[in-house]
Amino acid sequence: MDLGAVIGAGPETTRYVTSIIRVSLQVSMTAVAISTAMGIPLALVTAFRRFPGRRLLTTVITTGMGFPSVVVGLVVLLLLSASGPLGTLQLAFTPRAMIISQTILALPVITAVSLSAVQAVDQSVRDAAFAVGATRRDVAVRTIAEARFGIITAVLAGFGRAISEVGSILIVGGNIVFTDGTSYTRTLTTAITVEARQGRYETGLILGAILLAVVLVINAVGAWVSARGDR
Amino acid sequence: MRITVEDVRLTRGEATVLDGVDLTVEAGAVTAIVGPSGVGKTTLLRAIAGFAPPAAGAIRYDGADLWAVEERQRLQLRRTVAMVPQDRSLFNTTVARNVAYGLGVRGGPLERLRMAVGGVQATDALAQQVTDALALVQLAGMGGRAARTLSAGEAQRVAIARAIATDPAMLLMDEPTSNLDPQTTAVIEEAILAAVRRGMGVIIATHDIHQAGRIADRVAVMIGDTIIEEGSATTVLEDAASPAARRFLAGELPL
Amino acid sequence: MIGIAGCTTGDEGATAEPAQLTEAIGDGELILATTTSTYDTGLLDAVVPTFESAFGMTVKMLPQGTGAAIETARNGDADVLLVHARSREDAFMQAGYGVNRRDMMFNDFVVVGPAADPAGIAGGDSAAGAFDAIAAAEATFVSRGDNSGTHTKELVVWDRATSVPGGRWYQEIGKGMGDTLAQASQTGAYTISDRGTYLSMREEVDLEILVEGPLRGGPLVLKNPYGVMAVNPAVHAQVNYQAAMAFIGFCTAPDTQAAIDAYTANGSQLFFANAWAEPVDFAQYVPAGYSVDAAARLTAEDRQFLSWVDAKVPAGY
Repeated sequence: MDLGAVIGAGPETTRYVTSIIRVSLQVSMTAVAISTAMGIPLALVTAFRRFPGRRLLTTVITTGMGFPSVVVGLVVLLLLSASGPLGTLQLAFTPRAMIISQTILALPVITAVSLSAVQAVDQSVRDAAFAVGATRRDVAVRTIAEARFGIITAVLAGFGRAISEVGSILIVGGNIVFTDGTSYTRTLTTAITVEARQGRYETGLILGAILLAVVLVINAVGAWVSARGDR
Repeated sequence: MRITVEDVRLTRGEATVLDGVDLTVEAGAVTAIVGPSGVGKTTLLRAIAGFAPPAAGAIRYDGADLWAVEERQRLQLRRTVAMVPQDRSLFNTTVARNVAYGLGVRGGPLERLRMAVGGVQATDALAQQVTDALALVQLAGMGGRAARTLSAGEAQRVAIARAIATDPAMLLMDEPTSNLDPQTTAVIEEAILAAVRRGMGVIIATHDIHQAGRIADRVAVMIGDTIIEEGSATTVLEDAASPAARRFLAGELPL
Repeated sequence: MIGIAGCTTGDEGATAEPAQLTEAIGDGELILATTTSTYDTGLLDAVVPTFESAFGMTVKMLPQGTGAAIETARNGDADVLLVHARSREDAFMQAGYGVNRRDMMFNDFVVVGPAADPAGIAGGDSAAGAFDAIAAAEATFVSRGDNSGTHTKELVVWDRATSVPGGRWYQEIGKGMGDTLAQASQTGAYTISDRGTYLSMREEVDLEILVEGPLRGGPLVLKNPYGVMAVNPAVHAQVNYQAAMAFIGFCTAPDTQAAIDAYTANGSQLFFANAWAEPVDFAQYVPAGYSVDAAARLTAEDRQFLSWVDAKVPAGY
């Protein structure tokens, strides 16, 4: 796709750029949604229940935050490849494979930051909820509400990790664009690698600016949600 | 309502905090549990409130052993009692939502949704209960304030209003006035007496003997790992039977 | 099977109207593993849509490094493979993963560098000699260093040269072709490039062709033939073999071969179609060195011994 030659030149470019933005957001937001649904309960359990291996689990979670995305991509591809153990699912080089690898990347971030946020909730606040007749589940919900600012930060951090990474989705997604210019597994970040490897740095920077704008909008939404919750 | 603590042993980790504790508390009166700081008053209150099963013995509400019944019934029993913890325990939201919390969790999913969306104005009944509870602690009109902007005294009163709003048969309070000024202490003590006039029982853990003297009908003295003396307030405070109790009440540190 | 009717004869430049298949082949998808340099020339974007509409297929093009593309095909994650690394294609077929190879097109490599040409290699007729001159002058040389087809070719040339690349002047950067040319341009360095990528980037880089490839009379070592082959369905039952064969047929069909010849970038032809040649090149279908007679004469034991030799004994023994 010779983006450099046609940039600013009409419907083909618009379709290409719109489709890669769409794929970026679909993949990263789905991954963050799944990671949040798994990470918050995990954070609550790790914070408030005693079980053997709890300290080890916390270490694994924080280590996972810094795990190289390209290694995650390789492992996921090996699993999902037609020659691999999960080959029958036919997920290699699909958006779902990208969602899987980004979930693996975002989960530790969201869990670790949420863990820190819920641990900061005073035990007497949790006790007070329990002691006016809340069930354990009510107390968990109240703890999340008390930790809401930290949790919003966690989700935004997870989103940041997902939307900006390129190593894993390049490998498991295959950077595929259909011949009509719509993206199948190409995102803003992997599109930038295409421009960069062809030496078209300016176009890469333009796509980078678009990516930055997307991230800014998401973070602004997050800040708005935060402010609304400040009641 | 009658709460009975029957030969209860309580541990925290490896250590035994309380052993062989017996206590009976009736509604409609104020029972003060006095003792030195750190002796285990909080642990006892938490046991009564149903946080965790005792290592030995039983906690009975009107004869029913709290930990011998099913989860569901234990929840219903727990909801006849409300506890106000010692430290700042308010939620980071408005005063009104704090006070309405106990009522909210008792509702079904539809009511919770209504309250989440509409706040305490969701139903007239809810709004009324919140107003009444705030009036009892002399904080009428403060419903819209953010809890984190309150002073220590105001916060403690809101916490009490939150417990009272659920109309419990028994109210448990852990050192409710220990760091507060005399005026706020007076307001809180007046609220306790008003609650008792409504028919509630109040168990108050305190190291302030004078407070016990002002408002308690019955007093239990906790020294070491058990209750060494229990009886009517006037008897215990003026003429305690056990020497250790007498020494504590006279202001000496226990051995 | 359907013939592509309506191929016009005598119309120059007019788009032929191929007949449309009403039923897709297999699941209607063809996964094509190819190299980033091939993909980046834009040739596939030009010819693949014709294939898609003629056969009612959707093509998913996977641009990867040469090694990764071959690995993807080996794993059965692609249906058809299009690369330009003959020795590795041979190994791929010998191992049983690829079948029905066809020559598709060719171009060549060129040695490029700054116009100032500090090592004085301009106009030379030996690639190895040029590399020796660069080494002697310790002029900066940028290598892709990524086992791509280009890098493989570069190592072949160093092999023939007397110098050994190393030291501060030889920089392995592990990047794609366009990126490598950009970096060479910025640092005033020499490098080796496929002609196609160089031509498509000519406007953006400050590099000249200093040693030509065989398309313009340069040394034969710089040849760059492309091959397309299907992934063996006997090894990976789930591949869309019929679609792969349709694609190979399409790539080697006269119309497409003409389109390949007609494809230009920055005004220059990038590829030369060679699916058809006179005399017919039978060697394109099988791994290099394969002999039917030899295979037929061998007993089972001898064949086994030879397969051990192939597997264990290194090439230079």
